[in-house]
Formats: sequence, structure tokens, C-alpha cells
Amino acid sequence: MDTATTTSPAAAGLRDFATALDACHDRAASGGLVVSRGGWAVASPARVTAGAQVPGSSGALMAERGGTPAGDRRQEAFADELIGLHRQTLREVLDGAVARLDRRVSEGANLLNRQLVQGAVADVALALSEADDLRELPMSTPWRRWRIHRDLVNAGRTALKLYGAGGFVAGGPGTVLYLTEVLGNTYLRPEQPGPEAGDD
Amino acid sequence: MTEPTGERIAALRSYVREAGRELRAIGLEIDRDPEAIDRWLGLPAVDIMRGCTIPAEYLDSPLRVGAYTYDMSSCLEHTVTIEELSYGDTGSMLACPGPLMSGVAVSALGDDKQRHHYYERMAGPEPVWTFFGLTEPAKGSAATELETTLVPEGDGFRLTGEKRYVGNAAYARLGVVFCRRAPGPLGIEAVLVDTQAPGFHAEPIPTVGMRGARISAIRLDGVRVEREHILGYDSLKPSRRGLIGAIRTLQRFRPVLAGTIVGLCRAVLDHVREQRPALAGGARARLEDLEDRLTAVRRQNYEVAAAIDAGRVRADRVAGVKTRAAELAERCTLAAADLMGPGALLEDPLLNKLYRDARAFEFMEGTGHIQRLAVFQGVLKRTFLN
Repeated sequence: MDTATTTSPAAAGLRDFATALDACHDRAASGGLVVSRGGWAVASPARVTAGAQVPGSSGALMAERGGTPAGDRRQEAFADELIGLHRQTLREVLDGAVARLDRRVSEGANLLNRQLVQGAVADVALALSEADDLRELPMSTPWRRWRIHRDLVNAGRTALKLYGAGGFVAGGPGTVLYLTEVLGNTYLRPEQPGPEAGDD
Repeated sequence: MTEPTGERIAALRSYVREAGRELRAIGLEIDRDPEAIDRWLGLPAVDIMRGCTIPAEYLDSPLRVGAYTYDMSSCLEHTVTIEELSYGDTGSMLACPGPLMSGVAVSALGDDKQRHHYYERMAGPEPVWTFFGLTEPAKGSAATELETTLVPEGDGFRLTGEKRYVGNAAYARLGVVFCRRAPGPLGIEAVLVDTQAPGFHAEPIPTVGMRGARISAIRLDGVRVEREHILGYDSLKPSRRGLIGAIRTLQRFRPVLAGTIVGLCRAVLDHVREQRPALAGGARARLEDLEDRLTAVRRQNYEVAAAIDAGRVRADRVAGVKTRAAELAERCTLAAADLMGPGALLEDPLLNKLYRDARAFEFMEGTGHIQRLAVFQGVLKRTFLN
């Protein structure tokens, strides 16, 4: 079953994520629900009551298709909100990884002392730092937002490696980062082929 | 080798590919409800998985294609088989009963009597799920550091500890548990555990993807272990038993896992080609680049598997091919979501499932960080690069 246990820490993390996503909708649109250019609305079950659960979300998010897409200004405002949510989520995942590794010992040494681990932590931090700088540039564009999102996705994958198999447990860091990826794919991907279609 | 050639392997691939199609058909159902595999136990793919690595003489109907009989004792044939089944659906394949890694461990470490007992049980009329219990909550899959203990009691032992992220354990009847009988690397043992034994507890861990693998947590509360259940206890020196068994099993199985990954990558890229036949320009170039990389890693994996069959186990290359394949799976699925366009992860259930499944490979049978250490050793020894 794809449902979360309502009392588990994982479920609480997912609920917090869903609540934060709903708040993004609120800040971008007075109606509290932004429909993507492709006609999708993704939010908590309190916001989207029809449609279907987002696969892999343990029921934390619902997706419904068929609404009227929001106008450009709302799309852009919501895109900025989503990138902020992604950035905050990744920051929490990174902090969680550092705290977790600080409690683990291998061959008598704290795992945070491993250079491979330190390098991975630094890579994620550098990506977060760059994303912050890019978000502050004036004249934001859909393609710039998409590039920032893509960088955060890649950094998130690096961060998840610090969790080992723990990053794959439903409701944990892997789930919230997966949901940021789904949201980016749904709301942030520019419709038109862009200059970096050949990028990875 | 681009693809292993010869009639024998071509016949195997063709047969298994057909069986894999039926796994594709049930893949989304297994993702929603992994226990649904119980409704599909009559599929040819399930028969293939049940017989994998069991000697043909134990089976009423071993896998025969034309004039050839297969028992998957060949790493290359095993790899090709698993790749094709994974192309069908990885999660459904991993949900199947059969020996999987436990069979490789029993084959590597068990004495004649232990192997006979294991194969007899696996070849019986009832489907038997198995598990391979190495990873622990505090130590991951670091075999030299495991903390599960095997303490003497009378003429036997008691097994106490925890294992985590173990495929199928909550549904298995039989499995191999790695544990510590004494300090140091020579104190590690592999024991065959019956999950009906008092003190054995296992429950599934819900996961983001690869739900068919039914990844589980195990708790061992003083499970009674008889001496004859310690693999190789009466036939092998301590230096040739537990730890070496874990290493040999993992190395023998990694090309099979890489084959699993290659199968999923092929499925992803083929799906993009089918759904977006008109891709052009940079998008097309991106897809072709990934196809090139997939062909390259697939070829390398066949070479590694063939080398293992020839008795040349190269830990650095085994680690390298697994790591490359796992990273490629992430790249392929990320690219597929891009190339299929906005909303694809919500619109396309198969893409969504593959996208979630692909993330499991990073940690299966050793994380990328651990594999990199083996590659590094290969660089130092000048064995990794040609």
C-alpha cells in the first residue's frame, strides 16, 4: 500500500513538505492552487481532493489534471516558490546527512572524517551556494529557473548517496527530494526546446 | 564483445526476452502491491527465477531451449538472463521466488550436504523466497565490521542481531545471514537460517521505488543455529569461509546486478524512443549519447562476466562496471523525464516507475563510495585501466 503511517517521523516529514507546498500555492495565487501550463495541479490532499495520489508520495501529494493553467505572472511567482522549497528541502537533507554521518563510525573513525564523504558534502553545499546566487540575479527566466532546478536535482542525488539505502526509505529524504523533482518536471520544465536540450 | 555471440546464448536471450514481456505487463501492479506476485507464479519468468543457479539434476524441468540446458552456473548466462528479465520489469523480477544471492553463497561456501539440502528445498513444488542478509543498520554492508553475533550454546549456537535493507526477507522461508562467531575477519561466518525458527522476525520497509524487491528489516533474537547450518564449517578453513564467502558472492553477483541495471536502462531509452519518435536536434543527440554509454557499459559488463567464468575475478573492474551502470541508470531516467516533456512523470506511469526504481541501484550490493575505493585500488595496482 502506498500510504504513510500517520504517526511516523517519515509521515510527519512528508506532511511538512505538503504543507510547505500548499503555502507556496498560497503565496503565488490568492485562490491557493496554481495549475501548470500543462494543466496539472499538485498539492496536498487538503488542496487537491480529486485526481490521484502522486506515485511514490505515500499519499502526501495529489495530482489532478484538467484545470485552467495560471497566467504567466502566477506561473513565474510559483516557479520561484518551488525553487525556494527545493532549495530548503535540499538544505535540510544535507544537514540531516551530516548529523547522521556524525553518529556513525566505521573502522574506528567517524564517517565525517572520510574525504569522499567530506567532498560530497562540500559539493552539495557549493551547489546550494550557487543556486542562492543565481536566484538573486535580476530578470529571471524560465530557462534559468530550470537550470537552477536541474542543478539542485543533481546536488540532491549527491546528498542522497550520503544516506546509503536509508535514502530510499519511503517518507525519508529520498521521497521529499523525489517530490521536488516531480514538481520541477511538472511546473518548471519550459515547454519549448531550449538551448540546453543536449545537456545532461 | 558488443553482445555475447553463439547459438547457445542467443537462444537463451531470445527465450528469456519473451518471458520478460510478461513481467512488463505486471510491473505497475507489482509496484502498487508487491504481494501481487503471488497471483503470477505461473509465469515462465518466475520459473526461470526459481531455477536460477540450481543444478539441473535437482529440477523436474530445468530451463531448456532447443538443444541447450541452462542452470546459470555461468556468470555470463546468468547476467544475460537477468538483463532480459529486468528489461521486462526489474521489480517484478526481484519479487520472484528463487535462490538469487543466497544460492550463490551456498554454492560458494556450502559443503556437499549443505548444497544438497538447499537445492532439494529450493527445487520442491512450493515456491521458496530467499534472502541474503549482510547489511546492518549501524555498519551498512561492511562485512568486516558486522555485529550480528553467533554465540555457542550446547552443541549449537544462538544468532542475535539486526539486518536491514534485505530483499524479500519478510516473505522468505530461507536465507543466508552473515554474522560474527569470533573477533577479526576469520571470525565471520555465513549461516543458513530458516525463517520459521523461533526468534526470527522480519518486516518490509516501504521504499520510494523498486517495491517489488520487498526490502526488509530483520531482527534475530537468539535464533538457534545448528553446526551443520554454518556454511562450510566442516569442509573449509576459517580463512575460506564467512568473509571470503561474502566477498566472492558479491563479486560473482555484481555483473548480474549490473545486468539488472542495463536491462532497466534499455527499457527507459526504448520507452523514450517509442513515445517520442520525432526527437530532433539536441534532444536526439542526448538520447544517442545515452545509448552509446549504455552499449559501452553493457559490453564491459559482458566482458567482466565472461572473465569471472574464466576464473579471473577482478574486483576493481567488477566494482567499476556496477558503478558506471548505476550512475547511467540515474542519468537515463533523469534525461527521459526531460525528453518526454513537462508533466511526463505524472502522465506516464511506466516512466514514473522506472524513474523511482533506478535510484535503488546506487546502494544495492555496495554504494558508489565503496565501489570507488575498489576502483582506486585498481588504479594503484595498474589493473583497472588497459
